[in-house]
Amino acid sequence: MTVMDLRDIRARDAGLVGPKMARLGQLAADGWRVPDGYAVTADALDGWLPPAARGELARLFTAPAPGHGELTRLASRARELIESQPLPPAVADAVASAHARLVSRAGRGAGLRVAVRSSAVSEDGQAASFAGQYETYLGVSGADDVLRHVRRCWASGFSAHALTYRQRFGGTSPVRAADLAVGVLELVDARSAGVAFTLDPVSGDRGVCVVEGNWGFGESVVSGQVTPDHWTVDRASWRVRSARTGAKRTWSALSPDTGLVALSELPGNLAGRPCLEEEEVRYICERAAAIESAAGGVPQDVEWAVARDLPFPDSVFFLQHRPETTWTAGDSPAPPGKTAEPAFDPVRYALRNVFKVPGT
Amino acid sequence: MSGDPPRVFPVDEFVREELYPGYKQAFGSQPFVAGPVRPFSLADNERYWLRDSLHFSEGMVPASVATLDDAQTWGAQLGAEIVGVPPTLGSVNRLAGTHVYIGTIDVDTQWQVQARAARFGQYVSPVLADFESYWAARAGELQSAYDHFDNLDLAAMSLPEVWTVLKDAYAFHRRAWFIHFEVMYVLTANYLAFYALAEEIGLSGSQVSAFLSGQETFYSRTDEELWRLAGLARSLGLEPALLSGSTADMRARIAARPHGATWLASFDQFLSVYGQRVEETCRIDIPSWTEDPSPALYSIGAFLSKPAGFDFHAARAAAVAERDAQVDAARRSLNGGDLVRFNEALASNLAANFAWWNEEHNYLIDRRAAIPVRRATLELGARLASSGEIADPADLFFAFKPELFGAMSGGGSASWAELRAMVPDRRAYFDYWRERGPSLPPMLGTIPEVVPDPIMIEVFGLSGRFLETMRGDTPAGASAAAGDGLVATVTEIRGFPAAKGVVEGVARVITTVADLHLMEPGEILVCGGTTTEWTPAFGIITACVCDTGGSLTHAAIVSREYGIPCVVGTAIATQVVKTGDRVRVDGRAGTVQVLAR
Repeated sequence: MTVMDLRDIRARDAGLVGPKMARLGQLAADGWRVPDGYAVTADALDGWLPPAARGELARLFTAPAPGHGELTRLASRARELIESQPLPPAVADAVASAHARLVSRAGRGAGLRVAVRSSAVSEDGQAASFAGQYETYLGVSGADDVLRHVRRCWASGFSAHALTYRQRFGGTSPVRAADLAVGVLELVDARSAGVAFTLDPVSGDRGVCVVEGNWGFGESVVSGQVTPDHWTVDRASWRVRSARTGAKRTWSALSPDTGLVALSELPGNLAGRPCLEEEEVRYICERAAAIESAAGGVPQDVEWAVARDLPFPDSVFFLQHRPETTWTAGDSPAPPGKTAEPAFDPVRYALRNVFKVPGT
Repeated sequence: MSGDPPRVFPVDEFVREELYPGYKQAFGSQPFVAGPVRPFSLADNERYWLRDSLHFSEGMVPASVATLDDAQTWGAQLGAEIVGVPPTLGSVNRLAGTHVYIGTIDVDTQWQVQARAARFGQYVSPVLADFESYWAARAGELQSAYDHFDNLDLAAMSLPEVWTVLKDAYAFHRRAWFIHFEVMYVLTANYLAFYALAEEIGLSGSQVSAFLSGQETFYSRTDEELWRLAGLARSLGLEPALLSGSTADMRARIAARPHGATWLASFDQFLSVYGQRVEETCRIDIPSWTEDPSPALYSIGAFLSKPAGFDFHAARAAAVAERDAQVDAARRSLNGGDLVRFNEALASNLAANFAWWNEEHNYLIDRRAAIPVRRATLELGARLASSGEIADPADLFFAFKPELFGAMSGGGSASWAELRAMVPDRRAYFDYWRERGPSLPPMLGTIPEVVPDPIMIEVFGLSGRFLETMRGDTPAGASAAAGDGLVATVTEIRGFPAAKGVVEGVARVITTVADLHLMEPGEILVCGGTTTEWTPAFGIITACVCDTGGSLTHAAIVSREYGIPCVVGTAIATQVVKTGDRVRVDGRAGTVQVLAR
């Protein structure tokens, strides 16, 4: 199978589309409000590179463990090489028709904006060290651009960062990328977005849910580039126990230049205001707790978005969920793959924790 | 004690209109980012000033005031400006007599802090993403400059050509120090970010330097070479020649012995690679090892005189094993996201390693950058002495740079006569202050409750306890502040536990690296602080105690690598302990007890 519509995807399909997309398909099947979309399977992308390009790629990495400067050059050549290869016609045709079906279901015209998300088949699992090494692109529109970004997702496994990570933590050959599927999902026109945890991710307290959010798309929160608004909600009474408005200076918004979602300065009138109403906070927590129950009681972290111009509670979408790893992973050396960014950003720590610059 | 006014050590006695005889304020460089080197003024009582005996123990001759200006003043301020360090404009220097004190200038408006923070991210992120290339480019630039200056045949040049070389050498010196601080601020940020993460996830930030230790540096290779030369001397039967008499005629004594020439050939080969270094930063008045190899010969003697011998490789292997054990223990205490962040922070810091660079860069910058200035100054001095403008080539060390440049650019014979007349007084001034150096207060001005700058804490040792002791808020600190009579009654002092182990032994107080040869095997070193030049002594001492320093200081790092106990940041060890006292050093508790005086 080359491409699967989200409505046909279930939890059992994790081996085809990656656990991330499989969980989302299951959520949709169970009646949750999730964005519509489709997935290009890992099988379809397995071995898609023409033999000549594969040979070239292998040659690039024949030398043992290059230094960082050399690695950066190799990585950029590898990415150029991969991004310039056309996908096989069968894959391209299947994506084009799945995209046409999505556009017609959405009924918003051909300019429909989508998110193109890497979904590693091994992600969150045994080889989780690759999770978070692949990229996600928000705001893509049109089948041709989707195809281009599918190639970019695959090539992102060859970023200098991803290669260094593999070199240091776990060593498979750099040429052998983990099996990668790609999810294409309707982009929720988010007024606010963020993450909910069905326990306190800092203390491990399972008597509360924690919601973190910012205005705009959720990337600013997920990648840790902003101090988000923060709510703690009591799971027995669903009352908000504490609410803290973050010193938000940036947000993720559609860039007029590229059409993609990018980090930019938050308009001043939004900076000091909480991005959710209290009833939205409570609703997100209740639904996140229900997702936890459906996942067998394992604490979850859940990405949510509140759409602009839709009435509450139809406005609240769930974009993905996964086991909360801090308190459940034991001493597994695998990173949780929580973000597309590295978990430790020295600049952020230096500015926030060391230099104590307000708003960082 | 927070309700009490902070303790002030008045700068008043050091406030002078002139520094050396004939000094003018205009000699400080202008324009400047935040201010040039100056003598103290009364306004300086409002801020804290730390004596930097770590880098400059003996005082600065007039010509070295210009190289200091390039380095810890101009270089630091320009580096902080370019990198965009949010809270500080860099360091500033004051001179008490000839001795260097360091202070910092805070950025005190929110707009500037925010603007610098934005710049900081833009500058630092790409550098840390590929530090190897970034440092390689700068190290390459420095090395090619040395290739140029080292290969100049100054003796064959005309006077105007020598003068041009001197101007080039000063320009290079300033550039080298800008590189120093540009790189240092980037690496410091990476290090401190790891430090902050460690605190956040339940480790101690002070452990971080231990996680990053054990990397090979130019200095560890130098020490290993010196150790190898000691072994060669032993096998050739040359120990007696290296263990007795002064180093001044040691070459002749070695040459006179059988196999002496063989050993000297190996030693000269060593100097050709490792000899371009001087013992202190910015000092153009002291020779390099190539000119006078006494420090290297002393180091070899130190290795030979260790009673049980010293196994360099075993000590290094033990230090690396200890580091790995600490990293493993830290990892075992973490899980989930904390472990991921720890691993990423460790990877980032191993790729851009401040603890490593802090040693490595000395060879390319601190201990070498002024050598081209020294060589050109001495050559110019020789020409001027032979034409009678000055009495001795080294007299040029006693001219401030603006005076020399003024005289060379058309000042003519009148300016030489003026300078000639001042040199004897200036030499006397330097000698007077060199004698006073060890008794100068470690801090001047207002001692703060806390110093927020972590680099001042971890490198210079301005921890809460250090400041408390300086303010006289601890019993030992109060006795020390009260003067000599009471200092003699203090029997226990505390500091930062820098390297574990417990040792009892006889103390020797050393205040300048020039006296290091007095150290006997088995003694406990008590000093203000150490630098790379002190490293050879670690092969023969049994413990180390310093007034200054934190987890990142030289003494802490080297003690761990040599496997001896070390306590730093005691503030008053050199006042409390006297040479000959029997002391007990506990490197895990961070205590030093005086057992018998």
